[in-house]
Formats: sequence, structure tokens, C-alpha cells
Amino acid sequence: MKSIRTALLIGASSLGLALAAQAAPMDLVGPVSNYKIFVAKGVDRLVTTTAAFTAAVKAGDLKKAQALYAPTRVNYETIEPIAELFNDLDGSIDSRADDHEKKEADDGFTGFHRIEYGLFEKKSTDGLAPLADKLNKDVVELQGRIKTLTIPPEKMVGGAAALIEEVGKTKITGEEDRYSHTDLYDFQANVDGAKKIVDLLHPLTVKADPALSAAVDKNFAAVDGILAKYKVGNGWQSYDKVTEADRTALKGPVTALAEDLSKLRGALGLN
Amino acid sequence: MNDRPKQDRHSSDAQPASPDRRKMLLGLGLAGGAVASGLTPGAAFGASTAGEASQPDQALEARQPFYGAHQSGVTTARPPAGLVVSFDVLAATRGDLERLLRKLTERIEFLTQGGPAPEIDPKFPALDSGLLGPVVTPGNLTMTVALGASLFDGRFGLAGAKPTHLQRMPQFPNDALEAESCHGDLLIQICSDTPDTNIHALRDVIKNSPDLLALRWKVDGYNAPARGANQPPFTPRNLLGFKDGTANPDPDDNSAMNRLVWVAPESAEPAWAAGGSYQVVRIIRNFVEQWDRTPLQEQQSIIGREKKTGAPLTMAAEQDIPDYAGDPKGERIRLDAHIRLANPRTAESQANLILRRPYNYSRGVTKAGQLDMGLLFICFQADLENGFLAVQKRLNGEPLEEYIKPVGGGFFFALPGVPAKGLYLGQSLIEATELPGDSAHPTPRKSS
Ligand code: HEM
Ligand SMILES: [Cu+2]
Repeated sequence: MKSIRTALLIGASSLGLALAAQAAPMDLVGPVSNYKIFVAKGVDRLVTTTAAFTAAVKAGDLKKAQALYAPTRVNYETIEPIAELFNDLDGSIDSRADDHEKKEADDGFTGFHRIEYGLFEKKSTDGLAPLADKLNKDVVELQGRIKTLTIPPEKMVGGAAALIEEVGKTKITGEEDRYSHTDLYDFQANVDGAKKIVDLLHPLTVKADPALSAAVDKNFAAVDGILAKYKVGNGWQSYDKVTEADRTALKGPVTALAEDLSKLRGALGLN
Repeated sequence: MNDRPKQDRHSSDAQPASPDRRKMLLGLGLAGGAVASGLTPGAAFGASTAGEASQPDQALEARQPFYGAHQSGVTTARPPAGLVVSFDVLAATRGDLERLLRKLTERIEFLTQGGPAPEIDPKFPALDSGLLGPVVTPGNLTMTVALGASLFDGRFGLAGAKPTHLQRMPQFPNDALEAESCHGDLLIQICSDTPDTNIHALRDVIKNSPDLLALRWKVDGYNAPARGANQPPFTPRNLLGFKDGTANPDPDDNSAMNRLVWVAPESAEPAWAAGGSYQVVRIIRNFVEQWDRTPLQEQQSIIGREKKTGAPLTMAAEQDIPDYAGDPKGERIRLDAHIRLANPRTAESQANLILRRPYNYSRGVTKAGQLDMGLLFICFQADLENGFLAVQKRLNGEPLEEYIKPVGGGFFFALPGVPAKGLYLGQSLIEATELPGDSAHPTPRKSS
């Protein structure tokens, strides 16, 4: 869901990559362009998996559509800080029923979670075809916009914190995927997305603030440790299976990560 | 709809708050005893305006006027405690609706002016909750009554008299509205020096209207006391830690208020509405943990002001006027800064000025284990379209949205004032919609 927002658009559209990188320490050029590649690959994967997912929906194959729902979404959640720069698309791809006054019945409620509602709550693909078409169109549009996007370094660095804020705000509660209880997929995708950014920046961070870098690594490990208990094969257990104690235990490292990551920009001397 | 209101009902403006009184109010309540004093306790006791009260305990004797062309609680300085409560109207007939409005008038007059609570045979439940003791202290109480668009449906024959812009609050792009915290037929904004004064007033209204009103939602708020500099302006801070209210139009400037806030007799609105005002309430959650993890310079560029001083970025003093014409690229104050979008300060945007009168609120903990607190945003304007709606449209998509989430509220129309004793709130509306042969308690009009 929505997190980093427009403002960034001004930066994003008016600066070229070269220009943006110039304004930042030269050291960041490498990590930013690597991140850009990561995001581009992510959105490509989002487009192909969404095509397969929506095809199953339209074919009326409930079982297959249910199975593909979470593995498709993770491709959005991993690159969320960038995907969300386009908040019109973020709204139509990833809004939740709460974002709409009439909740599930609202005409403005479209995208993954609306389809999730059909597949897991109504347990039917009836009426989902137009929503599937729209989702497909929206992710292709997103792919196009990301291609021409310049990622300002401070947005990449800030993105790590934004992903973890997202986890703390909506994933820990199990409200994101409330019909399918596949929250752990999103949870891990957000964490992976943040970890990717942190890893790309690692050589710079250890130099700038070794203590901070170590604290971040430690808390990522703590989160991974708790999540690992719920891994099944290539996927994740249903979020209802996560004990109240583990949900609470996750809050500590997640909040600590959010605190630490909020210092990354400053540590790297970014505006 | 196009006949003019009787001049005499709108000829006298409510006594405006003097600048001194406003400052005093802002400094009162939580500020301890350090308020300038020159009055003896006896002189302050029973004083009719807050400015004459000199100590916090005596301040509970200060009262705001009830009768006037406008209701109190709009241009009245914000006292420390505020509460907004929304109701569904249960009245079934026009007669019941009028009974409700008369009852509210009677209760509000008593509560805002104060006096001994009535005593009855103790074998019965007491008429007063007793929260304030045997004598009800006014404590600067104001109770401002406003109507929602839903009251103008078929129930009471009011459909033809709806203020032109009054509508059900739509969903804006960043909203996540909770149905149980939205809209309502009738809103009462209750403000005073202390939270218990507000709760006492609310319980009194509820006890007196069991068959007429059903609670829908309620939010309690507070106003931070003036801190630090002893110099005006005493602008309180919101929960983002920024001064909130700096660039508000001056509520003591009558001509500005007549232009921006009060519906004028010669406007496009139905004649009965003259002297009233559109009231917007938005319950806007602030993600304070996330905000507290945001670099200071980022916070400041999102708002467009210095956190410490409240000055526009790159300027020295809180009251300095930002020069957007001289900063076309947003190098000093970003083009998408909150204050720049909210008021671009162009010739055209002068028509979009609104009077903000917000409170901070703090309630429980969210499902995610985060603080549930934010801004109880309230604003008044003579024209909803040119006011709130135009401003919100510019704000849609602003960077501040990452840190805020509107979850409730509604659009209302604050009724014109009650010009004199014997008249009641909403009387002009009831009379404007009377059918021939409707014999709803004719009341002789009095001039003020
Ligand atoms: C939680 C939400 C909000 C916060 C934290 C907030 C905060 C602020 C702050 C700190 C200021 C600068 C100080 C001042 O001039 O008062 C300001 C100004 C202002 N805000 Fe907001 N605000 C919020 C929502 C809104 C909304 C919903 C509107 C109207 C649609 C609005 C309209 C304005 C206007 C008109 C100004 C004055 C701008 C000027 O004249 O320079 N604000 N706000
Ligand atoms: Cu999301």
C-alpha cells in the first residue's frame, strides 16, 4: 500500500539519472544503477506472473488462481517503494478495502486485493474477468513508466525504511491479505526489498557508520529467524498460524529496523 | 429561497473576540498561574468574556455569548479542549425536529452561561450529571450546531432548502474512511477550557434528547498551550510538532470573516442560511512513529516551514510572508510543500481562504500496535466549493500524505446564530420550509 509518494515524482521526472547521481556522492552511482536493474527485473517478473495469474482467473480455474495469487503479488511488494511513486497506479493495483468508503462493495476497489476477495472470500472467479483485465493493463502501464524513471539516490536509500514502515503498519496485523492470509509472502517480499537496498549500500554503510550497519544486519537476521519457522517448501504458512506471541515478537526487530533504517540517509550524507 | 432575510435578524454581528482575549484564551487553562493579573477575583467572577478572567481557576467562570447573528465557536478563539460529536436525528416529524432544535437551544443557552444545576427529589435520577458540582461553570463553553446533507432528505420536507454546496463528504484519494466515523445528520462542536466541561455538556444533551438523537461518532481533542516565547502569536503545535494556525485568517477581522466565513445575506445560498457557515470536519490520523523517524529537513520541506520557529523556510519569523513569485522553481519552499499547495498566495487563490480551527486528538493503539493520534481538522468557510474543496483538491497527492490518513469526518452547515431570547437554533430553516397551513408553534419574531 501507499507509502512513498508523489513529491518524488518531481525529482523523478525532471532529473536524468546522470544528473541525479552527480548531485550525490559518486560512490552512489553504482548502487543506484544496480538498484535500477533490480527494479526493472522485478517489474518484468510482475508483468509475466500477472499475465499467468489473470489468465487463470479468466479461465475460471479457481484452484490455480488461488495458488498464483501470493507468488504474483510478491513481485509488487518487493519493489513497492518505486512502484508507489505512481500513486494512481498504486491505488488501482494494491489498495485495500479499507481505502474505500464502501469497502468491498466499492466500485473504486480494484486490483490484487479485490481479486483476492473474490478468490478466497467468495471462493469464485465469477465477475472477476474485467478486474483481471484491468490489473494486467495496470502492471503493463507500470512497467512502461518504470522504464523511463530515474531513481534519485535518496529515494532508493529512503525506500529501505519505507518498506519496513509498511511491514510495521499493515503486515504485522494480517490486514493486508485478510482474505487469503498470505501475508507472510508480502512480509518477506517487503523485507527482501529492503534488504536488497541495504546490501547494495553495504560497502558505503560499513564505512560511514559500522555500528549502524551491524545493528541493521542483526535485526534483519532476527526477523528472518522468526519468519523461518513458518516457511513451508517454497511458500509460507497461513498468517492465522502465526502465534500471537510471534506477532508481538516480530514488532521489536521490525520497529528497531525502521528506526535504524531511518538513519541511513543521514549516515550517507543524503538530503 | 430568494427572499431576503429580515434585516433585523442579521443586523448585529456577534461580539467579536478582542485580540487580547484570543491571546489570553490560548494561554489559559494548562498554562499555570502565570497569566498577567490586575483584576481582583471578585472582578473576574462572573465576567462575560475570557479576557477578563485572570487566573485559570477563575477562567471557569468565563463565558462566551450565546445570542448573536452567528453561533459562537467559529471565530471564537480555540480554548484548550474541543470535542466533536455527530448524531443521527431520530425525530420522525417536523414537529419533533423543531422540538429538538428548541431543546438544543435551551440546553446550550444554559450550559454556556452556567448557573446552579436544578435539584429535584432524590428519589428520582438527578437532572444533571453532577460532573461540575452543584453550580455549572461555563468555562468558556461554546456548542456549535451544524446540519449534515442527510437531514435535507425527504424526512422533514427540507430538501428544497439545502445549502447549495452541502453534500455528503466524498472520498478523497488518500482517504481510508471508516463508515462508523463519517457523516451524520447533526453535528455539535463543543469547546471549552476543560475536558470535563465538554463531557458534562455532551451528557446533558444526550440526557435531554433520548428520543430525538442517536450518537454516531465522537472525537475528543485538545489544543496545546502556548509555550516558550511570551510574544504573540501564541500558535499551538500539532502532533507533528509544527505550529498549526500561523497563516490562518484573523478571526477578529470582521470584514474578512464576513467575506470568507459567514454566508452573506446576498449570496447564492437560501436566505435562511445567512449568518451560517460550512463546517468541514476531518479525522486525520498522523503516523507519528514514522514521522519521528523522518529527517528534520525532510519534515520541514514537506510542510514548507521551519519546525522550531514556524517561519516559512529561509525566512526569519513565523509571520513572514512567503514569496512564491520570487521562488518559481521551489528552491526555497518546494512547489509541493503543504503550505504552498494549500495557499499558493496568488490573486485567484485569495478566494480559497478558509478559517481552520483544528484540535489534536489522541486515542488508543492501532491493530498494528502504533499510536492512534492525529488532527481533528475543522474548518469554516462561506463557500464549500471555493473553500475546503478547492484547497483539498490542490493538496491531493501532496508528500505529507505519506504520514497522514484521513479516516472520518463529514461536511456540515453550521446554523446561523440565535439573534435573541425566545428564538431558537435553525428557526429560519424551519420557517422557510413551512407549508401553508403548517401550524408549527408560531413564534413572534423579535428584533435584536
Ligand atoms: C493532519 C493533517 C494536517 C497537518 C498536520 C497540517 C499541518 C499544517 C501546518 C503545520 C501548517 C503551517 C502552519 C499554519 O499556517 O497553520 C498548515 C497550514 C495550512 N494547512 Fe494544513 N495540515 C493538515 C491538513 C490540512 C487540510 C486537510 C487542509 C485543507 C484542506 C489544510 C489546509 C491548510 C492551509 C490553508 C494552511 C495555511 C497555508 C497558508 O496560508 O500559508 N491542512 N497545515
Ligand atoms: Cu502493499
